[in-house]
Amino acid sequence: MTEIASAPTPAHRPARRWDPVVKLTHWSVVIAVIANALFTEEGSGTHVWIGYALAAILVLRLLWGLIGPAEARFTAFPPSIGRALAHLRDIRSGRHVEHRSHNPLGALMVYAIWSCLGAVIASGIAMAGLPGQARNERSDTAVSASTEIERGEDADEGDEGGEEEGALGEIHEVAVNLLYLLIALHVAGVVFETRRSGREVVLAMLPGQR
Amino acid sequence: MQRRHLSLQRKAAALTMVVAMQAVAALFFILDLAGDLLAEGFGAHLAAESAAVVALLAGVVIGAFQIRALVLSARQDEAAVAMARGVAAELVRLRFGEWKLTPAEADVALFALKGCDVAEIAALRGAASGTVRAQLARVYAKAGVGSQSALLGAFLEDLIDPALHATQCSETEA
Ligand code: HEM
Ligand code: HEM
Repeated sequence: MTEIASAPTPAHRPARRWDPVVKLTHWSVVIAVIANALFTEEGSGTHVWIGYALAAILVLRLLWGLIGPAEARFTAFPPSIGRALAHLRDIRSGRHVEHRSHNPLGALMVYAIWSCLGAVIASGIAMAGLPGQARNERSDTAVSASTEIERGEDADEGDEGGEEEGALGEIHEVAVNLLYLLIALHVAGVVFETRRSGREVVLAMLPGQR
Repeated sequence: MQRRHLSLQRKAAALTMVVAMQAVAALFFILDLAGDLLAEGFGAHLAAESAAVVALLAGVVIGAFQIRALVLSARQDEAAVAMARGVAAELVRLRFGEWKLTPAEADVALFALKGCDVAEIAALRGAASGTVRAQLARVYAKAGVGSQSALLGAFLEDLIDPALHATQCSETEA
């Protein structure tokens, strides 16, 4: 059986499917973004906690981009304008080329979303401060996260005035709005690709084993 | 065999959840540590905390490698099963053609290969046992075998690598 397994022919390879890390990180990011965009109060403790979790999940996905299976690695979907243009020509001429990872246009979108998330996270953490920062100002270490954030903000405003905070808030807001735009394009892209190539596109990202 | 890749996939999914939670915890401790370092400078307490952070990070990375191993072996397993199925189906098609089985005989022969006995085949096909027994007898005659297990053996002989067979024999002799 091992001899047979070491030489699978392309014809017998199962349909493309994302591994559990890609799936879990994708849907965790989706949940975190929706939660912070719609449900948590801006700058509240919950907002920041979800933000930290989002950062960790993103880091895990980036680690997976280095060590994951072939199709999840960065090398499988390099950001390349040339390839994206070639892909556009394929679409226009109705040609179908199998991509083992994101298609070249999707790859650009993935890097854009990741960069944008990075900017949102960086500006958010810069505003919220590190979790331990305000600790030595008080004796009680078991204070809830929200008080911690308020303390941090107060301290910031006391130190440097509201100006820097305002600029970071501005960056945060602009990055978030850009993220919304990218997400709209991303979902539109998924819908388009599903019509062009079939349900497999979305099925490959849904949880569960097939 | 058929279930193995599913169970591997389930393990990979479960481990992914654990590693994701570990990653969230690790990031929190890193930020916490960074905050403490900024606030109070490096000390014995923070040295211990740093060690914990390093251990947690190592756990994440090792966990990720384990997930990859599980994902890859699940895929290999699946590919092997699909391949074996394809090969077996092709072989069955070839042999049945060679023996010039009628469609009804081929059907009966396939059930026999899967290990069904005469009564079961009769029930599955909605036929009388006598009919099935007669059909099986014609199948055996065309295939040049005398029994159901010999029929199965005729296929296994082609599927099992002769080299593998030889090493196994020499091993048992030694
Ligand atoms: C991707 C998910 C996120 C979304 C959709 C989001 C959205 C927003 C929005 C719309 C605001 C109001 C902006 C303003 O009016 O200035 C805000 C504020 C804030 N966000 Fe986020 N955010 C996200 C992630 C984060 C992260 C990762 C952190 C930090 C870890 C964070 C920390 C903050 C803070 C501290 C504020 C208060 C800003 C202020 O008071 O001006 N956010 N967020
Ligand atoms: C908050 C909203 C969303 C964000 C930030 C987001 C982000 C991303 C990112 C970063 C990837 C690349 C995955 C990776 O390689 O790790 C991706 C892929 C994907 N996403 Fe989303 N996504 C969002 C919403 C959705 C929704 C609502 C759907 C379902 C319709 C969806 C379907 C997909 C699919 C099918 C892929 C794989 C694309 C491919 O085959 O190349 N996403 N998404």
